[in-house]
Amino acid sequence: MKKITFIKAFREGDIFSKISYLIWGLSNMVRGQIVKGLAFLAIEITYIIFMITSGVNHIENLLTLGTQEQGMVFNEEIGIYEIAQGDNSMLFLLYGVATIVYSLVVIAVWIISVGSGERARIAKENGHHVPGFVDECKALLDKKIYRTFLAIPFVGILVFTITPLIYMILMAFTNYDANHQPPGNLFKWVGLETFRQILSANNNISATFWPVLGWTLVWGVIATFSCYFLGMFLAILINSDGIRGKKIWRTIFMLTMAIPAFVSLLVVSTMLGSNGIINVLLQKWGFTTQALPFLTNGTWAKVTIIIVNLWIGIPATMLMVTGILMNIPKELYESAKIDGAGPVKTFTKITFPYMLFITTPYLITNLIGNFNNFGVIYFMTGGGPSTLDYYKGAGKTDLLVTWLYKLTKDNNDFNYAAALGIIIFVLSATISLITYSRSKAIKDEEGFQ
Amino acid sequence: MNTNHTIGMNIGYRKGTLVSGLLFFVALFLPFIKDGDHNRNMVGLLPKLLTADMRVTGKILYLAIPVLALVLLGVGIALFMRPSRKMAICYSIVAALETALTVFTLFSSKSLLDKAHVLEHKFMVSHFGFGFWIMLVCGFVTLFCAMRTAKVHPGYILLTILSVIWLFPITWIILTAFRAESGYYVGYFFPKGLTFNNFVQLFSDTSLIHFGKWWTNTLLVATCNCILTSLIVLMTAFSLSKTRFGGRMMLMKIMLIIGMFPGFMSMVAVYNILKGIGIAQTLGALILVNAAGAAMGYYIVKGFFDTIPKSLDEAALLDGATKWQVFTKITIPMSKPVIIYTVLTSFIGPWGDYIFPSMMLGDNQSQYTVALGLNWLTDFRRIDAYYTQFAAGALLISLPIVILFVALQRFYVEGMSGAVKG
Repeated sequence: MKKITFIKAFREGDIFSKISYLIWGLSNMVRGQIVKGLAFLAIEITYIIFMITSGVNHIENLLTLGTQEQGMVFNEEIGIYEIAQGDNSMLFLLYGVATIVYSLVVIAVWIISVGSGERARIAKENGHHVPGFVDECKALLDKKIYRTFLAIPFVGILVFTITPLIYMILMAFTNYDANHQPPGNLFKWVGLETFRQILSANNNISATFWPVLGWTLVWGVIATFSCYFLGMFLAILINSDGIRGKKIWRTIFMLTMAIPAFVSLLVVSTMLGSNGIINVLLQKWGFTTQALPFLTNGTWAKVTIIIVNLWIGIPATMLMVTGILMNIPKELYESAKIDGAGPVKTFTKITFPYMLFITTPYLITNLIGNFNNFGVIYFMTGGGPSTLDYYKGAGKTDLLVTWLYKLTKDNNDFNYAAALGIIIFVLSATISLITYSRSKAIKDEEGFQ
Repeated sequence: MNTNHTIGMNIGYRKGTLVSGLLFFVALFLPFIKDGDHNRNMVGLLPKLLTADMRVTGKILYLAIPVLALVLLGVGIALFMRPSRKMAICYSIVAALETALTVFTLFSSKSLLDKAHVLEHKFMVSHFGFGFWIMLVCGFVTLFCAMRTAKVHPGYILLTILSVIWLFPITWIILTAFRAESGYYVGYFFPKGLTFNNFVQLFSDTSLIHFGKWWTNTLLVATCNCILTSLIVLMTAFSLSKTRFGGRMMLMKIMLIIGMFPGFMSMVAVYNILKGIGIAQTLGALILVNAAGAAMGYYIVKGFFDTIPKSLDEAALLDGATKWQVFTKITIPMSKPVIIYTVLTSFIGPWGDYIFPSMMLGDNQSQYTVALGLNWLTDFRRIDAYYTQFAAGALLISLPIVILFVALQRFYVEGMSGAVKG
């Protein structure tokens, strides 16, 4: 079967095919696919009506983000000043983005409709059976089952992930901060100004950004690799031959994983407070005379969080590694033993390379997950202890994500938050791209099939 | 040497056993504790301890250490002269006991010594002399060597210590949940009185704590999420793994890229969209948004589907099966572990999900889930009054999840490792 492209279809198609570029679905209808053709047509007409009534307006507003500021207008009839509703930049932005996404979807439908009409024409000219509506529906459960299966996820992701994401990305290029809050104020496009403010070294925001970025990187690397290696060690220990009651040991460590993370984190953070049980016991046992600042001193808090993260992260790695350990071919170990390899050599030459090969994707996901590890920071310290050196409310243990959260939730500095989000994305994407492109496990998608 | 006795032993370690046991004994005569201006060793401290006004258990503790050290030395010599596995195991037990006592001394000395006024000043851990630390280290080394000699895996030592650390917070929260004395700050670990009241109050004291409501809310979200997410994830994974169509790789790449944006960056926008539809701050919104993003978590299931041999599908298709039949008759039945894993995680998810509901539900307390409610209880304004109830609530939601999780951990491991075993 020949491949049909959008432009080729125009060159090769008959008159109906050509007209169906304007009147969608015509080509289908002429070849007997009435329902399908009408559906295409209906989509086209709805879109045109939408664009005429409001769509064009939305696009226009998206370019200006509103010109009419809310203000006081003198009402001559009553003789007082009244609030005149101005433009709402935020809604303009949202409607504009929604219109663009809608348009993109409709364009996709257009391309599909042309292809579909062309396929029907070729089938008819070659004397093949042109699939009717019932046939097409049957195909949706057979060859084209992916269309049925992916329809709901596709719409869901489009509406609740992609549209909001575009909206937020665009926000990074506006001045939608605490001083420009709709509906009272307008905000406008400012280009890369927000990024300049975050990255350039001469204001409070960039004085916060660089240390927070530094801590995010340090935290991500330490948290990931400490959990990875210690978890692997624990899994190997429990899995070794002489240990009995493997299930019981595993269960003990898994308890922390099974308990919802926010519960265990809340509990641990209350235990570590200056009146918490750990400080109480340390004083009772005579280890210290005054409460230790586990979560209230910047450096202490950082170390504490890393250790508490071990408590949660080691079992997770242990569980994953256990599954892989069982899959390592036993013969490898047997022949290593015959060759006189000790436990250390067995680990560095067999277990670890095998593990690394399989777990590289896990390791990257984990690293990125830790850069974005909102839960641990939020429930343990809430980003604190806060410091005056940082921008509004940011604290010593804040990661980029928790700072982003504070910027949106507490400060309403949406443009900075959006810019931070983009920076986090660039960070994650760079790391992933470098490692994924080198990892064999990804390339070898069909290795097992 | 009689080989019959040494079967199942690692006699190379018995020298280490003897040396560290001997060192432990010697440490009895080294500075144990600082008393005023001079150091006392264990032997010198004993008469003072035994005559002091101290609980009998305390006296037994301090007396047991030197006595056991002697036994240790005796058994150590016997083991060195006539190695036998029984003897080695016996030695391990004594060493374990001695080590446990030494560790116990580390933690209990303050309360024992201060109450009895044995020392001239208040005791601090830093007052222990190097003799004590040698005893502590030698205790572990002896135990290690003894276990090695008896060919018992010394990993048990580490596992025991780690288990204690791991279980410590869990024990604390369980004890707090049953504690009769309310309040956040208490100066002791074990509660003075036990009660079920905290649990009763969670459901009866509806003026502030709507735990019953939070619980049913969460159950609703969890059930819906479990059904919708599982279906969507299975369908997405099947499409991406078992069918080939133009734009498949592109779709996967796009999802990968979207997944790298921090999830809640766009939540403000999602909230605005929901407000536009008119369902903001409701559980329905939470369920809808959860389901909408569910497809992004297809990776593990797809990984599993990828391991189901292609030849099975092809054979079925040749026999005239449709793709739908391949999905229901081949893929699903072969993927039990990963399906159970998906169902389980999507059910457990909402119980622990905090950030997302907090953004979606805002201050609409009647729609709160358990996570939001419990976090709200630990706010510094409420923590003192409701800490025990918080603990009870935490226990109540963790228990079923833990049971589910432990019972189904097998499926987790199997789900991770694929349909075909290597």
